[in-house]
Amino acid sequence: MRKAKRVERVLGKTLFMVVIVVIFVYMLFPFYWAVNSSLKTEAQLRMTPATFVPRDNEGNFAPSLVNYIAVFRDGQFVRGILNSTVVATATTILALSIGAFAAFALGKLRFRGKKPTLYMILAMTMFPQVTVLSGLYAVITTLGISARPSMILSYMIFTLPFTTWVLTAFFKELPTEIMQSARVDGATPFQTFYMILLPLTAPALVTTGLLAFIAAWNEYLFALTFTTIDPAARTIPVAISLFGGLAAMHEPFGEIMAAAVVVTVPVVLLVLIFQRKIVQGLTAGAVKG
Amino acid sequence: MPKRRKYSDLANREQRLSYKLLAPALIVLTLVALYPLFQVFYTSFTDRRFAAGDQEVNFVGLGNYSALLGFTIIELPPLVDEETGEKITDPETGKTEYERAIRVLPRQPHRYKELFQFNWFGKRYVVGARDPIFLTAIWNTLLFTLFSVFLETILGLGVALVVNSKFRGRGAMRATMLVPWAVITVVSARIWEWMFASSRAGFFNMIFNRLGISDGQTSFLTTASLQLPALIMVDVWKTTPFMALLILAGLQTIPNELYEAGQVDGAGRIRQFLSITLPLLKPAIAVALIFRTLDALRVFDVFHVIMGNRMYSMASYNYYQLIGNRNMGLASAIGVIIFIFIAVFAVIYIRMMGVDKE
Repeated sequence: MRKAKRVERVLGKTLFMVVIVVIFVYMLFPFYWAVNSSLKTEAQLRMTPATFVPRDNEGNFAPSLVNYIAVFRDGQFVRGILNSTVVATATTILALSIGAFAAFALGKLRFRGKKPTLYMILAMTMFPQVTVLSGLYAVITTLGISARPSMILSYMIFTLPFTTWVLTAFFKELPTEIMQSARVDGATPFQTFYMILLPLTAPALVTTGLLAFIAAWNEYLFALTFTTIDPAARTIPVAISLFGGLAAMHEPFGEIMAAAVVVTVPVVLLVLIFQRKIVQGLTAGAVKG
Repeated sequence: MPKRRKYSDLANREQRLSYKLLAPALIVLTLVALYPLFQVFYTSFTDRRFAAGDQEVNFVGLGNYSALLGFTIIELPPLVDEETGEKITDPETGKTEYERAIRVLPRQPHRYKELFQFNWFGKRYVVGARDPIFLTAIWNTLLFTLFSVFLETILGLGVALVVNSKFRGRGAMRATMLVPWAVITVVSARIWEWMFASSRAGFFNMIFNRLGISDGQTSFLTTASLQLPALIMVDVWKTTPFMALLILAGLQTIPNELYEAGQVDGAGRIRQFLSITLPLLKPAIAVALIFRTLDALRVFDVFHVIMGNRMYSMASYNYYQLIGNRNMGLASAIGVIIFIFIAVFAVIYIRMMGVDKE
């Protein structure tokens, strides 16, 4: 009897370990495959069957860095990284500063029309960007804004409601007594916001800023549309999607994978460093409400 | 009453400050979202073309909508032998042969193209659509949404449950979960595109061939029946972690005492899961589900990068009509249709979350 129970427990534990390993492999394998492919030469990539590590004809381990060299020699790619960095950083700063002002009013001040505004912001977080694509394109061509600023401006559609919403929740949680004591000390509401509340929300700013940055870094639809007339402004997602030209029969997958690894590693590192904060931020937007 | 007035002065000042603080956000959102939205609604009723110079723009009413959504169902008459007057049947299968759809479908004033055929009470019908590509795109998007969100929820729940229990390496596991989420969507699409390569140089063909399932020459991305499943796989990989994180956050709010109480009452693991975990997790799952549904309905990146012009989602067809075809009126109408789809889900979502429940 007791023996059966022990067997059952060991079996359960083993099964659990297997499940964990399966999840690990599932989550990491595609990225591993990209790393593996990026280290293969054109000939090694065409080798059938594909190998799990780069191998030469004798089957020895033979990685090559040609793809990485090619990618960094490619002006489009390097320019893409620069463009993405500029656009995503500017988007983050703009969305955070404008969002923090609005969130302070929504979270800590009393005024008429607060509820409708909150509803509007919440509705905006779910706004389908595609819908306004043609309208926004018309606005931008009429105003004659160049590609990079128009990306920054249009990314406000999805970053600003999000930063406002999450920061509002944060401001709401700060104790009202802080504001009252500041008022007693003669601070104006704006001074209270600027000198007391803002420093207190610094952790929330980091979290939401990071998420806004990643969202902007990822964005593809607007970037693709607004850079059709200005290829020099292409961001990373656009550059990688157009790699090797649209018409090419043989797409240079080695280089594409190298590019994929190069742009993914920094973001993954960033995410791992700020892991806990990101999880907090992601769930704050949804679960806390 | 001087005190009262002072209070209202303060309230007024607070109100004015609030409006000032909100102004930048509202101006920006008006410029990039509200104004373009009105523009899109308006343009969807015109035949405006993109960058057509000073070509005249006409009001066409619901013309764009009927061009996109118009369909008709017509019975296909069986083919009849003119001499004998009997129905012609396929000599091999013995099935009745029918008139070709193209000869039955109307051409004037608008041409209808065949979407699909079906049998109903012994008769054969053809469904014709003015824009079969768009109707197919809607169908693709809905299937994609249904299956990817379903799979993500199941897998996300599983992963969340695993990560929520204690084991060595749990921290590493939680970090690993963020990797697919952190990969740019376009990049993940390209990685999977390469894994789906149509020879044994691609991962899936290599592995299926090794396992003896296939000859290793399957073209996953050009075979009609495999395209959508392939796209769903890409999306599931990329977004399961997000699901898992949201569900995990819900799991962590369930107090441990409930499980202890359950144990005292003699409830087994499965019973505990069904009567404690699942009911308490319902709100978290519901929110995650709707979040993902809204996202999946507007899917663009995966379809556009992997399928290009071979297969469309609603959003990628919108892009194609705007940039490829320069038909701004039609593209706007597609935008409005997507908006309506998403608005319906969003209303449900806001109802569930409730801004008032502070």
